[in-house]
Amino acid sequence: MLLLLPQAIVDGFLIGGIYVTIAIGFSLAYGVMHIIDFAVGEWIMLGAFLGFYLNIWTQWDPFFLLPFVFIVFAVIGFVFQPVIHRVLSGKKGNPLLMGLVFTFGLGLMFRGLGLTVFGFYSHSIPSALSANSFFLESGNFFVTIPVIRFAGLVYALSITIMLHYLLKKSDFGLAVRALSQNRDAAGLMGVNAKRTSSYVYGIYVGISAMSGVLIGCIFSISAQMGGDYTVFSFFVVVLAGMGYLSGVPWAAFLLGFVQSFFLIYFNPSYTLLAVFAILYVVLLVSPKGMFAKGV
Amino acid sequence: MRHRNILWFASVLSILLILPLITDDAFFLRIITEAFMWIGLAMAWDVLAGYTGYLNFGHGVFFGIGAYTTAILMMRSEWSFPFALPAAGVVAGIVALFAGLPTLRLKGAYFAIATWALSRAVQQVALVLEITGGPDGMRLPPFLNPKFFYMLMLGIVTATFLLFWFLMERASFGLKVRAIREDESGAMALGLNPTKIKIQAFILSAVPTGILGGMYAYWITFIDPASVLGDLVTDQAVVMAVFGGLGTLFGPIIGAILIFLFKTYFWAYLADYQVLYLIILGLLIALSVVFMPNGLWGTLTGYIGARQALRKGLAVNPQAENETEKGDKTHE
Amino acid sequence: MSDPILRIDSVTKAFGGLHAVDDVSFEIYPGEIIGLIGPNGAGKTTMFNIVSGYYAPTHGRIFFKGENISGKPPYKLAERGIGRTFQVVKPFPGLTVLENVIIASFCRYPQREKATAHAWKILELSGLADRANVSASSLTLAGRKRLEIGKALALEPELLLLDEVVAGLNPTEADQTIELILKLRDQGITILIVEHIMRVIMSISDRVVVLNFGRKIAAGKPEQVAKDPQVVQAYLGGEA
Repeated sequence: MLLLLPQAIVDGFLIGGIYVTIAIGFSLAYGVMHIIDFAVGEWIMLGAFLGFYLNIWTQWDPFFLLPFVFIVFAVIGFVFQPVIHRVLSGKKGNPLLMGLVFTFGLGLMFRGLGLTVFGFYSHSIPSALSANSFFLESGNFFVTIPVIRFAGLVYALSITIMLHYLLKKSDFGLAVRALSQNRDAAGLMGVNAKRTSSYVYGIYVGISAMSGVLIGCIFSISAQMGGDYTVFSFFVVVLAGMGYLSGVPWAAFLLGFVQSFFLIYFNPSYTLLAVFAILYVVLLVSPKGMFAKGV
Repeated sequence: MRHRNILWFASVLSILLILPLITDDAFFLRIITEAFMWIGLAMAWDVLAGYTGYLNFGHGVFFGIGAYTTAILMMRSEWSFPFALPAAGVVAGIVALFAGLPTLRLKGAYFAIATWALSRAVQQVALVLEITGGPDGMRLPPFLNPKFFYMLMLGIVTATFLLFWFLMERASFGLKVRAIREDESGAMALGLNPTKIKIQAFILSAVPTGILGGMYAYWITFIDPASVLGDLVTDQAVVMAVFGGLGTLFGPIIGAILIFLFKTYFWAYLADYQVLYLIILGLLIALSVVFMPNGLWGTLTGYIGARQALRKGLAVNPQAENETEKGDKTHE
Repeated sequence: MSDPILRIDSVTKAFGGLHAVDDVSFEIYPGEIIGLIGPNGAGKTTMFNIVSGYYAPTHGRIFFKGENISGKPPYKLAERGIGRTFQVVKPFPGLTVLENVIIASFCRYPQREKATAHAWKILELSGLADRANVSASSLTLAGRKRLEIGKALALEPELLLLDEVVAGLNPTEADQTIELILKLRDQGITILIVEHIMRVIMSISDRVVVLNFGRKIAAGKPEQVAKDPQVVQAYLGGEA
């Protein structure tokens, strides 16, 4: 059993990378809009299917399709955001509550759409990279690293670094940070809140969709996959501390480890229970995340 | 309740009580029984969502837990139904208590997330446990008496309705939960303990849901994770309450009746396109939120109320209304 | 003199490195009106939040009627007899004015009928009875401030914390509110009041406590404090 330990750790690390990208996009959207998007898993699912069909149609490797999937969904997100904004700026009732209900409804609609168009079957997206693996050996221990998973990690790191630069070095990033810290003051200082929120939402939807394609290469995709990934996204963001971006990688890698440990050592059917149990304990002990730095 | 309302309530109830005496149509009774069930589920969801302002996106888990509790007690421990049914409510209430303790201290989004994750986790676990029969589900001894289930379901839902009516519209509890919904931190200064009140509301919402689940198990005689723990229970309850009108007693009832009728027709004629139903449910939620945030009932009563107020000359001073709007704008 | 109703014993509240309230002590005796003044950011609202239980003090203790109440949650303190208003008024907007006050009345009258009767009395006292059944969000600013006081009063507090209940009102409305405050004092309620308008605070307070940058820089009768060079400096320096 111990022999599999390095494999479990490496797998967890490799899977975790993808969760980092999803959770960072999700956190960004939360930061500027102050709304949890319950449709996050469905964006991942829809992106995955776009990748799947494009791959069949063009026969290109899914890695080359990523930018295209990003653009399509970023545009969808950009066009869509004003609707959410309208709900959130409503005068009647409780806009935040309505916002949550709204994204819940969206998620439901997308899931129905997915099931209608794509049916109940699982698919995977073939990539040339899926065929090969690296082997590492040291004494009795050995680790297999599928090239595709490694490529996934590289993808995740590049997206994260790009986002980091976008946020820290550009005017746009400044506007985003201003918005997530103080909406009113940012507005006074000339940040176009509506436009900036639309861009951020577009970027978030685009990244989620693109990550869906990768998930499709590494695991499998189905119209019902969204719910699990919604839970995973929440898990990472809540564990990291809502809005605390630096905590995201740790939480994401923890999720990756939990997933790979349950896959290798226990029954994967208990993964979600473990995820809930960890979430429960963290909320009980330190509601602001593992580092107590969330909001 | 004013006299006219009591009269309404009594007449509707007596019609519903007489119905099984004049018809033996099992299909018809079954439809009405299921409609009662959905009314109960939508009302129970709304107690927490509409009145208290906390969204439970895993409501179905209490239905499933209730169904499995009754089924397991009857099949594995040989309890009789009259004992196994209340047990369903008790177990659902205990689960709500423990799930609510950490999550209800926090902002609403955390609670919505946690309930959603809980329901997913329980779904997955029910598929692998032996005691639940895994994906094969459980069979209960058939007790084929449609009128018995009609009456029992009517009784449970009516009792739930009266309990909610009393607690939410008459007793102090209804005002307390609304204070929490409107402004939690302000409510604390007035002597209200928000966490305690929210947990009470959560249990109040979970217990009837669990009992309805137990009832469903014995009535349908077959349960599996897909039917009682699937997302559809939550999804439908949410749509019914949101479409009907959050935070009202009648909104979820109206929503439940309309959507259940629609579903029955839909299933009868468009069974090949089942998944279209999800799109319609999702679309209905989204459209309700955008165009009818007070739901069908809230919009109707708001319209009627405004007309009556105008007639009596009680309409809100328009000047004051303007001032609030100005105030709100400066806040933005 | 009798025992103090509220004793603040070297209380400090730090947010990160910032000491919003720094080693402040003072006492309030039953039946007094104490004014808490100081320039913007002096820590007045933080002090209110500590006394009413919204913040736990980082150091120091607070005694209410001889009991240590530091760190007790707001709803416990409301039960014990501390009522407060908020600077940013917080009516429950979706409820009527009457319902707003009924909710506060539950603290002393758990039954709805009795709470309702009590709420009507409070509305009469605070001059809102004619607007009882309108939605709280449709009140004018003056109305909302009165409702805020009404809600705190419905708790039947022994100590009432008033946070800028006069600021923003026109002179007539301000006079009505001052009259109300004096009436409450005559009924035996002890009052701690934060107010920006000096004219008001100086005329109604028995004593004032002056905060600056979280520290207590002066305390005493209004006319003495007004001459205190440190206070004059704090105000002039703060605004220059």
